[in-house]
Amino acid sequence: MKNLWGKILTCVISGAIAISSVGCAGTKDVAQTDAKPGTEVAAEDTKEEVKDEAKPEEKVKLNVWNLWTTDADANAKSFSIVLEQYKKEHPNVEIVVDATENEAYKTKLKTAMAANEGPDVFFSWGAGFAQPFVDAGQILPLDEYLTPEQKANLLPSQTSNLTYNDKLYALPFVSWVGILYCNKEMFEQNNLKVPDTYEELLAAVKGFNAKSIVPISVGAKDGWPLMFFQNVLALRTAGADGSNAALEKKTAFNQPEFIQSAQLLGDLVKEKAFDEASLAFTQDEAKMAFLNGEVPMHYIGSWFAGEVQDEKLSLVKDKVVAKNFPSLDGTKGNKDEFLGGAIDCFMVNNNTPNKEVAVEFAAYVAEHMAKESFMLGAGLPAWKIDTTGLTIDPLVQQMVDLANTATGFVLAWDTKLSGEAAEKHKTLVQEVFAGTKTPQQFVDEMDALK
Amino acid sequence: MNKVFSDKKAIFLFVFPAFLVFFMIIILPIFFSAYYSTLDWNGIGKATFIGIQNYINLFVNNTDGFVMSIKNSFIVALLSVFVQVPLALILALVIAKGIKWEGLFRTVYFIPVIISTTVIGQLWMKIYQPKYGMLNNILDIVGLDFLKHNWLATPETALGSAFFVIIWQYIGYHMLLLYSGIKAIPTTIYEAAEVDGANNFQKATRITIPLILPMLKVCVTFALVGSLKTFDLIYVLTKGGPIHATEVPTTLMFSTIFLQNKYGYGSSMSIFIILECLVFTIFLQKVFKAETITY
Repeated sequence: MKNLWGKILTCVISGAIAISSVGCAGTKDVAQTDAKPGTEVAAEDTKEEVKDEAKPEEKVKLNVWNLWTTDADANAKSFSIVLEQYKKEHPNVEIVVDATENEAYKTKLKTAMAANEGPDVFFSWGAGFAQPFVDAGQILPLDEYLTPEQKANLLPSQTSNLTYNDKLYALPFVSWVGILYCNKEMFEQNNLKVPDTYEELLAAVKGFNAKSIVPISVGAKDGWPLMFFQNVLALRTAGADGSNAALEKKTAFNQPEFIQSAQLLGDLVKEKAFDEASLAFTQDEAKMAFLNGEVPMHYIGSWFAGEVQDEKLSLVKDKVVAKNFPSLDGTKGNKDEFLGGAIDCFMVNNNTPNKEVAVEFAAYVAEHMAKESFMLGAGLPAWKIDTTGLTIDPLVQQMVDLANTATGFVLAWDTKLSGEAAEKHKTLVQEVFAGTKTPQQFVDEMDALK
Repeated sequence: MNKVFSDKKAIFLFVFPAFLVFFMIIILPIFFSAYYSTLDWNGIGKATFIGIQNYINLFVNNTDGFVMSIKNSFIVALLSVFVQVPLALILALVIAKGIKWEGLFRTVYFIPVIISTTVIGQLWMKIYQPKYGMLNNILDIVGLDFLKHNWLATPETALGSAFFVIIWQYIGYHMLLLYSGIKAIPTTIYEAAEVDGANNFQKATRITIPLILPMLKVCVTFALVGSLKTFDLIYVLTKGGPIHATEVPTTLMFSTIFLQNKYGYGSSMSIFIILECLVFTIFLQKVFKAETITY
């Protein structure tokens, strides 16, 4: 009797331990933030409510991911506004937003998609960045879900980076342009001219260095802010068509124009246009130097205008003038070509249980953000919008006027290239910056990229 | 009690749940990674089987800097075994002797261990900042401004700066382990030694260290294996930069898998790290094979 009782007790206790150790894994938590590739075998598949999508009165939950952790830049503000509007008009849809910082977002998204635990709707970049996702069939093609009205409002020229194999996979909201933000107060205080040409840029750099002011701040540690400089210099030397041809592997990078683009970047470094320690600064730190009025120039995308004009963040509101990157004489490029394009977009996961609601949400947000982001200066709208009676911030107006003169666009090279090639390219630009690779080596290795 | 220990079924039933969790979360993913390392795969698309090609690419004509990253991790390992553990030992010996405010020192030295590594990384990034950072400012005040550097921005100084923080963070951890080992030695032995005229140094080297040898072995193993796997501080401080000067195998693996979409190749890196740690652990076991002295 005692033996039997002991054995029963043993079984009950070990059973309780076994259940409790596995039990915590089975919660219906929609914690998408813990997605890990293949390691967590306890299947936390959170596709719980497979609701009937045809009945809009039923409660639907959508997981939405983006990279707007703070309400700082123009697109972040615009998203918040549009999200509130959407929630008011669709009380039956619950939106769970998860935001992650830019660099970490790229990793998180790739991990989640690899583990098939991606969200329903998410922010993404088109062209090369999303190529692996499209090839693996993880993105929903949108042509059959959009209404004819929406298709009519979407400007066709803005979808070229989001179309793969003649199908539309994502919805843009604005197209960004690369802008050289100049703190005109600092220029005036030091009797320097805001540069229009490359020679004037060098003169301004010399002038500021003579007063011990760092001329341009760049977050070289993150890679892509420094890459913008090489990309826009290549735009000036080789032109938009030349750059795009090389990126699409129709021509080689081993041409005098691209060698010159790397050479010019090296020259800017020699002239001390950038802080020597730029390789230790992230983009967030570099932009703060500009917003605090310590550095007179910052070359970055048009989304920055929202932060420049935000009194809570910026000490330079209304002191900044927007310009295209200075022009270069005697080259294939011209001063009206811009770095940029419609690459920021919203995509819908092919595995989402609520396809129609998700597409409707994505289209709603993209279309309305086109207007809101434009008003806040993030870029040019990718949808037709009604601008009657809108008051536009003067900085935004400058950028709109500039962009309306644009004759050509080149995307940032790390969004046009994919995966390994994008990473190696950013490293190569950093090496040119640090002087450890010559321009010839730069173009040779660019040609060797897969 | 004896009945439970000798009843094999009971042992099995009690151990099984924990073993199951351990197996599924640690052992099984290792096998998965080993399988992935034989593939050419980008993580979400089609995978092609290529056998040990990934491993060959790691060492023959390597273009990712993997060999250099292994060298970096060895430097951290050497520093942690020959600098961190001895420093921790000295601190433990001094504190365990019974100085004033013993508890306070113990706590203060242990604080870096419990603070999140991300927070420590951010803290030291601000200390190393060339313009506003504490380090350069102190050098200025003391008059040593020729020693100022862009600590994390130049490849030469970035390595040393990052390693300094790694070593600094876990000294308290080893100190605490050794301190508890020292406290376990009965004081009668020390009293006998004092009667025989031993001074502090002789007490430390002839009595304390031999008796805490098992604890030392534990510390050295943790230090060595931990430093071969170090990731978070390097990632926060330099992200492997500037220009891959501070890459260690783990940061390289991270960027290979998640930024370059090369899942198979990155998995082979992770298998290499696991094997490397295993080899070193076995090596350490052999080195420390002194019989444990009981008292």
